[in-house]
Amino acid sequence: MQTSTLPISYAQLTFSVLLVLITGGIASLLRLGLLKSLVWGTVRTFVQLTLVGYVLTYLFKLNSFWPVLLVTLLMSFVAARTAVKRTPNVRNYPTLLAFVSLLASTYLVGSIVTGLIIAPTPWYSPRIVIPIFGMLLGNSMNGIAISLDRLYADARARAAEIEALLTFGATPWEAIQSSVREALRAGLTPTINSLMVVGIVSLPGMMTGQILGGADPLQAVRYQIVVMLMIAAAVAIGCLLLVGFSFKKLFTSDGALQPFVGQSRQ
Amino acid sequence: MFFSFRDLSFAAGSQAPFVLSAALKAGEILVVRGPSGVGKSTLLRILARLQPASGGTAYLEEQPWQDIPSPIWRASVHYVAQKPALFDGSVADNFAKPFSLRTLSGTSPDPARTGALMETLKLPPTLWEQDARTLSGGEASRVAFIRGLLIEPKVLLLDEPTAALDETSRTAFYGVLGDWLKGAGRAALLVSHTDDYLDLPGLKFLDLAESRRRPLP
Repeated sequence: MQTSTLPISYAQLTFSVLLVLITGGIASLLRLGLLKSLVWGTVRTFVQLTLVGYVLTYLFKLNSFWPVLLVTLLMSFVAARTAVKRTPNVRNYPTLLAFVSLLASTYLVGSIVTGLIIAPTPWYSPRIVIPIFGMLLGNSMNGIAISLDRLYADARARAAEIEALLTFGATPWEAIQSSVREALRAGLTPTINSLMVVGIVSLPGMMTGQILGGADPLQAVRYQIVVMLMIAAAVAIGCLLLVGFSFKKLFTSDGALQPFVGQSRQ
Repeated sequence: MFFSFRDLSFAAGSQAPFVLSAALKAGEILVVRGPSGVGKSTLLRILARLQPASGGTAYLEEQPWQDIPSPIWRASVHYVAQKPALFDGSVADNFAKPFSLRTLSGTSPDPARTGALMETLKLPPTLWEQDARTLSGGEASRVAFIRGLLIEPKVLLLDEPTAALDETSRTAFYGVLGDWLKGAGRAALLVSHTDDYLDLPGLKFLDLAESRRRPLP
């Protein structure tokens, strides 16, 4: 990386344990019952990030296409699994649909960013592609989870109204439209809000990292702008796809509302 | 037959499933009777294709229901719930909303007829612009009834339509329903706990408790 990076040695890293002691002190003093999780979490942070460091070093050295593809696929799959599990209003949602939505949205946006805007050589350069996908997936994952959850919750809340529309000959799409809109709005709102406050309330992690790494702040800002906009695009596409795949699941093949949506009525 | 169902079977509660058949000529009304919870609403919801039957077929003008796409069926065999859900917006928006759907596109309600129906059903003209969520139970059920009449269904499935109405509104309601049934190609099913529908023309009865005791062969 840039020559101006201030390296942290392993000896210096051990000092960060001091910070854990402070957190642990507060946790045990107030008997928060978090001590075990804190220790376990600290260990995991060290182990996971160190491993990722090695994996990334290895991938950057390899600098070839197939490993990058494999890693981004794996990342998408894990993100899809996590998104599907984070939806209290939805039970047993197929991971595959979330996976397809995430894959389509991140690959489309990711290729625009790496191929058109950053344009590294080679175009699949893991040093660019992997962090970009990480940021896209991290945000899309939350977005689609919120959208999916809201779609189900809103459909349940409006079940009587949806059925009333059906009795006038509404198609499932016509009957569910307002819930779909609500779901997309919910999924996109956090991302759009972050566009408003970025740089004022929060200095985003990516930009901070680059600046700490010694990069020119103006360059870091340009990267950050690209990152913010690409995240918004990926979240929008991901939510749209997943909600599009999902709304039909709320209806039977005869176009009636599924019993699990409207059960509260009787 | 104008509207009929044959060997329609469905389970309600933990008891043995029903197997029901009935047939209506145009102008007739079938009153579905039985104690609460016996499955009267379920029967209407099944006929509206809001939930599936475990067997049997319903026919509209001799056409079996599987030959008619469900949106078209539901607009023709229109179900009015006991506690009808009104749409967001004013009462006028509620009358207009169904006509924004593809199934009913190209048609629109006749404002003079809507006004006349409101008047006959003792709804003041000021209600027109009122937010539908602020209506009383009795107002809401009459608005839902008018909303249903406006789309010109062939069969009305009415679930306790007068439960929230007072004496005068009930009489007015049955007056409107009786007049409506006199039009060409119309029939209705009615679930009601009171006996005040007895002046209606073309009455037929289906007693669910009876049919459970002696299942039809």
